[in-house]
Amino acid sequence: MRRSGGRVVIFGIVAIVAILLVAAVLLFLTLPDANAFNARVERIFVENDDLTGQAEIKLLEILAQSGTAFSDTLASYRVVIFVLLVFATAMLIAALVFLVMLVTLNRRMAQIERSGIQVSSLLISRDENTVYLNNMGFTLTAAAMETLAVLAEARMDDDVLSGAQIEAMISGKGEAECDEAAGATRIKRLRDTLGNQLVSELMVKTVARKGYMLAIDKDVIRVL
Amino acid sequence: MKKMLLSLALVAFAGTAQAACYADYKAKQDDPLRLHYGVAEIGGTCSAEAAAQELRSRLARAGWTLLNVVSVFDERGLDERQDSAGPYFLRF
Repeated sequence: MRRSGGRVVIFGIVAIVAILLVAAVLLFLTLPDANAFNARVERIFVENDDLTGQAEIKLLEILAQSGTAFSDTLASYRVVIFVLLVFATAMLIAALVFLVMLVTLNRRMAQIERSGIQVSSLLISRDENTVYLNNMGFTLTAAAMETLAVLAEARMDDDVLSGAQIEAMISGKGEAECDEAAGATRIKRLRDTLGNQLVSELMVKTVARKGYMLAIDKDVIRVL
Repeated sequence: MKKMLLSLALVAFAGTAQAACYADYKAKQDDPLRLHYGVAEIGGTCSAEAAAQELRSRLARAGWTLLNVVSVFDERGLDERQDSAGPYFLRF
């Protein structure tokens, strides 16, 4: 999906540049030639046999000169048109890139919404016996704190710990002396306290002196 | 009498043939565009095509391009065109 998105972007940019290039070439080709005015004056002179007076010829020459002056203006028009076309290209490319970014962002948002809570930061504060999940603070018991710290350290080393290993690291005893069930109990207690607080923070809110409320958008609730 | 008339006609014919030939023409210079109307004497055949050929090279030497030859005429047509041609009257 990502690769095809990139292809779409490249194809779109190429299409924009190509279209604007064609437009630019057409514009420059159809702009009147600087000599067009002179040619027209010359034709008038040749086609009218009685146009022979000196004053009349002088007038024709002045006409042609004013046309030549106008051709200088045309040159500056060309530059202005070129600059505008470059701007238009840049704007269109930016618009396309933003559009694609918006689409991918929307897809990503939908994924995040489906996968539930996304933990983007976990801060363990031993002094306060508090763990901060996405800046939501949860107070834990000292024992649960120890368990979480051990698990966090193991995660940073990409390790998986057994119950006995957890118990051994927290109590400081040898692993062989430790019981698997003791570790499992620690995990269960951590899950209970943290899970309870998570659910009350994210789902079942306590409204002070009033009662309880589901912290969920009412449009998404459906009862079958 | 008849002979005299014939000879007279011949003389007259020869006279017209010998008469000076002139052409009025239009020419231009480019960058910036300059135009002129002029009258010039033609040495060769007295026709518009011949005059054009003759004038083209003559004008080119002075940096002018021949646009067209308006007409060819003899000296009787000179006076009426002198004013219009101005400085280009019999110049080239």
